[in-house]
Amino acid sequence: MRRVYLDHSATTPIDARVVQAMLPYLTETFGNASSIHQFGQEARAAVDKARRQVASLINARANEIVFTSGGTEANNLAIRGVCEARQTSGRHIITSAIEHPSVRGMVEYLEQNGWTITRLPVYDNGLVRVDDVRAAIRADTVLISVMMANNEIGTIQPVKEIGALVRGRRESGQKHLSFHTDAVQAAGRAAIDVELIGCDLLSFSAHKMYAPKGVGALFIRRGTRLFPQQIGGHQERERRAGTEPVPNIVAFGAAAELARQEMVQRNEHTARLRDRFEREVEARIETIVFNGDRRQRLSHVSNISFRFIEGEGLLIHLDMQGVAVSTGSACSSGTLEPSPVIKALGRDEELARGAIRFSFGKDNTDEDVEVAVEAITRAVESLRAISPLVRESIAT
Amino acid sequence: MSYSDIFKDHLANPRNAGELPDANVFAEETNPVCGDRLRLSLRVRDGRIEAARFLAYGCPPTLVCGSALAEMVEGKLVDDAKHLTRHDILNAIAGLPSRKQHAAALAIEALRTALKSFRV
Repeated sequence: MRRVYLDHSATTPIDARVVQAMLPYLTETFGNASSIHQFGQEARAAVDKARRQVASLINARANEIVFTSGGTEANNLAIRGVCEARQTSGRHIITSAIEHPSVRGMVEYLEQNGWTITRLPVYDNGLVRVDDVRAAIRADTVLISVMMANNEIGTIQPVKEIGALVRGRRESGQKHLSFHTDAVQAAGRAAIDVELIGCDLLSFSAHKMYAPKGVGALFIRRGTRLFPQQIGGHQERERRAGTEPVPNIVAFGAAAELARQEMVQRNEHTARLRDRFEREVEARIETIVFNGDRRQRLSHVSNISFRFIEGEGLLIHLDMQGVAVSTGSACSSGTLEPSPVIKALGRDEELARGAIRFSFGKDNTDEDVEVAVEAITRAVESLRAISPLVRESIAT
Repeated sequence: MSYSDIFKDHLANPRNAGELPDANVFAEETNPVCGDRLRLSLRVRDGRIEAARFLAYGCPPTLVCGSALAEMVEGKLVDDAKHLTRHDILNAIAGLPSRKQHAAALAIEALRTALKSFRV
């Protein structure tokens, strides 16, 4: 059976060129980058080079990059690190209603510990409004954390405008206000320039850009105060203790460089496949709803709600046909949690339960699109044939 | 989460799916928490379930338990069908993780509701 992977927002396969780059650091060049001897210095040189490569992807300085274990740690470090450093200035955070769990969870944790949170709505297009951000800023606001691109629907938030807003506030005296953006989905896919965005902190991850899992990074603008969360080592300029995973960091560097060089062609390719996919699904299947703004979104993501059926059944049906996709809903112990992101768009329960994310990658082909469209058509027909909701909709 | 082969087979090829045009017994149960639904239609004659069909909306275990139930009760005496439990359904689909077993309970509730007018 031909297998088609359409879950690149979850993770990507490692590029063969990235594997080649990291291999020596799994074997002969194994030193600890903190060691003074030659073995260590070889590793240090490799980490330094990777740091420059990773920094270059987002137009940052190398010393503004802190390597972490991944996107979740980067988000945790950014939010908790800044809030702990700034809590004497205020205990108010602004975030959006559709953040990744690693942001949402950390913000909830702080809320339980006495912080006040403003969660900005998104509208039916999945976008935060800058006016809402402006209206939410208070004298005691110390952090705004709004993601660059959403992980389920791919919508790209107005981070540049939020950045300009934050700069303006700082210039007029609110020195303790910082802006963090979670760019885990965007990095390597959308052009990122931290100077243009004006963010103080930006999280990203290697495994979304054809590098291994287990490494990510946090951009921390020079001068941004932040308390480390990993204590007990001098690594990463005292901001993240722990021996650097040199092979993973080298891979991250190589992948970041490839992403920078190939971004335009990768985006053209995934946008073409994604758009063809959406046209064909729309032509073949009735009663579907596209989720999120279809212009202001990442080029590789499509999120579709299929009426009358539930997403997990569709996911398993597709998996049995070799097509890998993802759903934002989760059912356990009889409690269904429809995707909070789709709910935040104002969709009803049924549409939130029937939402599926299809995310394309640089190595997908037109044949993959054809196989996927056939499989989805079959699966939706099969599930709708047993759905009582179909008959009810005909009856009404 | 991994499901059994028989589970996947029920999902890909649901047994007894649909609604009986000449059914004389109907039941529909909804899980009030998650909204999963199971609709059962039966044709019962002379104390025997001659035909059974199901429709379901919800998570895969709900769909599969509906399929397994409809297949299991067709041809059964009402008296025997009344004694089926969720464990019989779970056995028929090679089990479910504990947090998904509510789907089998929903199927048995639908069956009990359908058959409650028939005295043992």
